[in-house]
Amino acid sequence: MLEIQNLHAEIEGKPILKGLSLSLGAGEIHAIMGPNGAGKSTLGYVLGGRPGYEVTEGSVAFDGRDLLDMEPDERAAAGIFLGFQYPVEIPGVSNVQFLRTALNAQRRARGEAELSAGDFLRLARDQGDKLGVSMDMMKRPVNVGFSGGEKKRNEMVQMGIINPRLAVLDETDSGLDIDALRVVGDGINRIMRAPDKAVLLITHYQRLLEIVEPDHVHVLAGGRIVRSGGPELAVELERDGYANIAEEMAA
Amino acid sequence: MSLLELPSARDENWRWSDLSALPAILDRQPSGTVPEALPWIECTREGPRLLFVDGKLAAERSNLGTVEIGMVDADPADHALAKQIGREGWRLRLAQDHAPQGLVQIIHVSTGAADHLPAQIELDVDAQASVVETYVGEGWINRLAQIRLFKGARLMLSRRLLGAGGYVSITDRASVGEGASLTVTTLAAGGGDTRLDGRIVLAGLGAFAEAGGALLGRTKQRHDANLVIRHEQPSGMSRQVWRSVADQQATCSVAARVEVARGAQKTDGVQSLKGLLLARTASINAKPELEIFADDVKCAHGATVGELDRNALFYLASRGVPQPEAQALLTQAFVTDAIERIGEEAVREAFHANAVTWLGAA
Repeated sequence: MLEIQNLHAEIEGKPILKGLSLSLGAGEIHAIMGPNGAGKSTLGYVLGGRPGYEVTEGSVAFDGRDLLDMEPDERAAAGIFLGFQYPVEIPGVSNVQFLRTALNAQRRARGEAELSAGDFLRLARDQGDKLGVSMDMMKRPVNVGFSGGEKKRNEMVQMGIINPRLAVLDETDSGLDIDALRVVGDGINRIMRAPDKAVLLITHYQRLLEIVEPDHVHVLAGGRIVRSGGPELAVELERDGYANIAEEMAA
Repeated sequence: MSLLELPSARDENWRWSDLSALPAILDRQPSGTVPEALPWIECTREGPRLLFVDGKLAAERSNLGTVEIGMVDADPADHALAKQIGREGWRLRLAQDHAPQGLVQIIHVSTGAADHLPAQIELDVDAQASVVETYVGEGWINRLAQIRLFKGARLMLSRRLLGAGGYVSITDRASVGEGASLTVTTLAAGGGDTRLDGRIVLAGLGAFAEAGGALLGRTKQRHDANLVIRHEQPSGMSRQVWRSVADQQATCSVAARVEVARGAQKTDGVQSLKGLLLARTASINAKPELEIFADDVKCAHGATVGELDRNALFYLASRGVPQPEAQALLTQAFVTDAIERIGEEAVREAFHANAVTWLGAA
């Protein structure tokens, strides 16, 4: 589904990703772990197409299409969802309005009919209920006055409504207490665990991976994937930390 | 035969206005052609409807109700544009405890030339009214409103400027009595230029006034609002909330002043002047002023000018919203603060829709 080959990217002339290669198949959940500053968030933003993140070499194909040639909104319409580490506050725009605009823009881009106000509200209520986000909150401005945990749950509500094929989730577990982590983790499983979908979980800690069990775990360090393995790799990293990785790289 | 003496840009109060088009409009002949469909606002409480074409009442398309046509008591000699205005105009005078059946709607259509018309709104003790004025057309619509609110009276005055071109100038002179409330909201969402002048005096104890709006400009449009709220008595409250949006080579300017007279203790004044630049070639001027002669007052003011939040734009894009739509949505959110003040839901929604239409027309 997603083929990343020899990806090099930089921000303001500073190289961050230095030859990253990764392949995700349908039905798979991959976790990317790594020390701070390894380029984890950069990978998410490059896949999402954030302005200022410049790809200097390599390729990314999504369902065989050149992802790097697409605008951020076209990537979303193609089925990619980027979960933000720091969801953005938008005063004056309600969650409902935000999501309805987004969903209908995507549907238009795919040549599908727009959802009526009634159908949309039913969908929003249903997804909100499943993540403990009330209709009251849905009517409030996007993320304004939300706690860290509420923002992350709100990201999952968005993911549930948009129903993407590939979710790239950047530190979705940060700032969550253990109960919220469970809610968010269950949300990821419910929405994304399907034979035709895939998830790229970017995380620093193993905690979320106890709930959302990955099929593959990769270690990102110095802008490249330095190790790949099964779920046991996450446990090992949790136990030993990233120091060994640094040693391996130095060796 | 224009005898129009215009203030120059050297005059501090007129430095951001461009009046150079007015003499030519003054010499033009009106076409007299009125569109069949006019932007009346559908609402549950239908009230008087007045249509003025080139400053004259189109009686066959109006329903005066409680509104009269007659002499207006106003002396605008000290205002460069308002002094062009004669004495006959429309009047809304309500006796104690009275209110019109519903929303008072007034549409001003200009068919290409200049027209001048005064208005008088006088609400006696505890009377209340909600008035909406809509300005369309392409000439110069020049207006003066003399407003007087007695004790406990309430007036909500909402104006929208939707003309495709030309010039609209509106001068308000208002006096707000004890415990009375005046809310004036203006939306400039057309293609013409605008000059708004207001002087509101809080003349009674605990009076309330709110004057604000949204100025939307593109191409080489100029919107210029110049507003003074004067607190003469204690415990008054005033709010000036303005949102300016400028694209291309447009200029939006707001000068807003709060004056607190000696003895007007416990005054509570807030000014919020915010500008949004959609292009680096556009201009926004914001001039908040405070002049305070009392020592126990609370006056907050803020003026900011900025661009759309890049993080919010990317957040919207990452959810599938294309750039133009994302910009329009964020810009709409930006002006919402200024339009939300309107009490009547149907009016508020109509104004929102006008703003959205303007934003989508880029």
